[in-house]
Amino acid sequence: MKLMLQIRILTALLLIAPAAMAQDDLGAIFGKDSVRRDPVIATFKSTRIINAQSNETLARGDLDFRVAHRFGDIGGANGGASTFFGIDNSTDIRIAFEYGITNRLTAGVSRAKGSGAFSQLYEVLGKFKLLQQTMDNRVPLAVTLFGNAVVTSMKSNTDKEAVNYFDKFSSRMTYTAQAVIARKFGDRFSLALLPSYVHRNKVGYMDMNDMFALGVGGRLRFSKRVALVVDYFVPFRDEASKDYYKTQGIEFFNPLGVGVEIETGGHVFHLNFTNSTATLENQFIPETTTSWLQGQFRWGFNISRRFSLGR
Amino acid sequence: MKQLLSLTTLLLLSAFNAAAQDVYSCRNATFRFFSSAPMEDIEATTKQGVSAINVKTKTVYFKVPINTFQFRKKLMQEHFNENYLESEKYPFAEFKGKVLDEVDLTKDGSYPVTVEGALNIHGVTKNYREKGTLTVKGGKINASAKFNVRVADHNIKIPTLVIKNIAEVVEVTVNADYQPVK
Repeated sequence: MKLMLQIRILTALLLIAPAAMAQDDLGAIFGKDSVRRDPVIATFKSTRIINAQSNETLARGDLDFRVAHRFGDIGGANGGASTFFGIDNSTDIRIAFEYGITNRLTAGVSRAKGSGAFSQLYEVLGKFKLLQQTMDNRVPLAVTLFGNAVVTSMKSNTDKEAVNYFDKFSSRMTYTAQAVIARKFGDRFSLALLPSYVHRNKVGYMDMNDMFALGVGGRLRFSKRVALVVDYFVPFRDEASKDYYKTQGIEFFNPLGVGVEIETGGHVFHLNFTNSTATLENQFIPETTTSWLQGQFRWGFNISRRFSLGR
Repeated sequence: MKQLLSLTTLLLLSAFNAAAQDVYSCRNATFRFFSSAPMEDIEATTKQGVSAINVKTKTVYFKVPINTFQFRKKLMQEHFNENYLESEKYPFAEFKGKVLDEVDLTKDGSYPVTVEGALNIHGVTKNYREKGTLTVKGGKINASAKFNVRVADHNIKIPTLVIKNIAEVVEVTVNADYQPVK
């Protein structure tokens, strides 16, 4: 009985074998789809989310020309109809050239008007892609390092007590070091965490030379070309400093940006609203003193135009 | 019983073996596509396609990982993968077809052939009948073909905003060198 069964199975096998060959599935000789270790692309559409850096760097030989503009307060004491909801004023304008030295390394220079005590800023920046998320999740996260150095070219204040009194050149310098830890969750949603450190050589009384902050940013794609972008920073300013500034009538707020990102081929256009008046990390992280709740948020736009220079 | 088993195994193996000798494969097939539009020409190439051909049954097979196509402009490459071909969702283009002509591919020679089969791009399968050339020489085979793909046929949507940059019909060139599968 048992033997009969075995014979039957074997006969069946023999019949199947030629049948399988006759079907001639040539694709089978290349095996199953090989494990895909390809890097995940386009976690963010641009090298910046709104105020925050994204994990993206430029491709080798690509030049990114960027303009960021922040208008004045829409509401509050300085907004409203008299300033055409802030359009009459600009709090910061940044013009930048960034270039992909390799696919992982980007370098850039920018000029920003600056907002707050320091203005007329020149920035040099570097960005390095340390880890790329892979499609097979062997590397679940993307990690990019960002750093910049900013110098103010403004005239020194003659008042020796002022923050912008520069007794030596180094007083003009501020720095940022940041890691962008990002992940693309499926097709539509990307998230980034940004542990950040800002160092300012010269700060006001009871202000902090060194400040840590944690940023979070996200992108949600509506369609192939339109996405919602958000970023938010929590600066870790100590209580004593906060309390002192409160007595001076200055309150610090966490910078929050909300925007719509529109991609049109080589352009990425952001229309956004932020309470931060500045565009550079060195300022918007430690020095945001304007609040969404008091109408002190503004229109802003980021425009990025990419040129492929390398071959 | 034991004898029966080994006999069967032998038969099975020989069945597979015989078939394998008719099969030629290529692991570095070249695919190039070219699109000419008013604003700019777009060109991309990959050498990471795979292909196989069975000289007995005259069946052919091609498969290309979409994200291996290299563009001159990396931003274009990103758009190609992200917006048009959606290579995360549809990682491969695949063709399964058959040579229609009465040719003996075990003999040396250059054969202009017509191949018919199903091409799957962007998750959409469409039947194609295209001309190509098969060259058999010293136990090796070369295949080359050039044909047009209408992007709309494969549900690849080009927004009106960039319609001047991307052609509606893309010219595809294929070249593969095959070795017998041992």
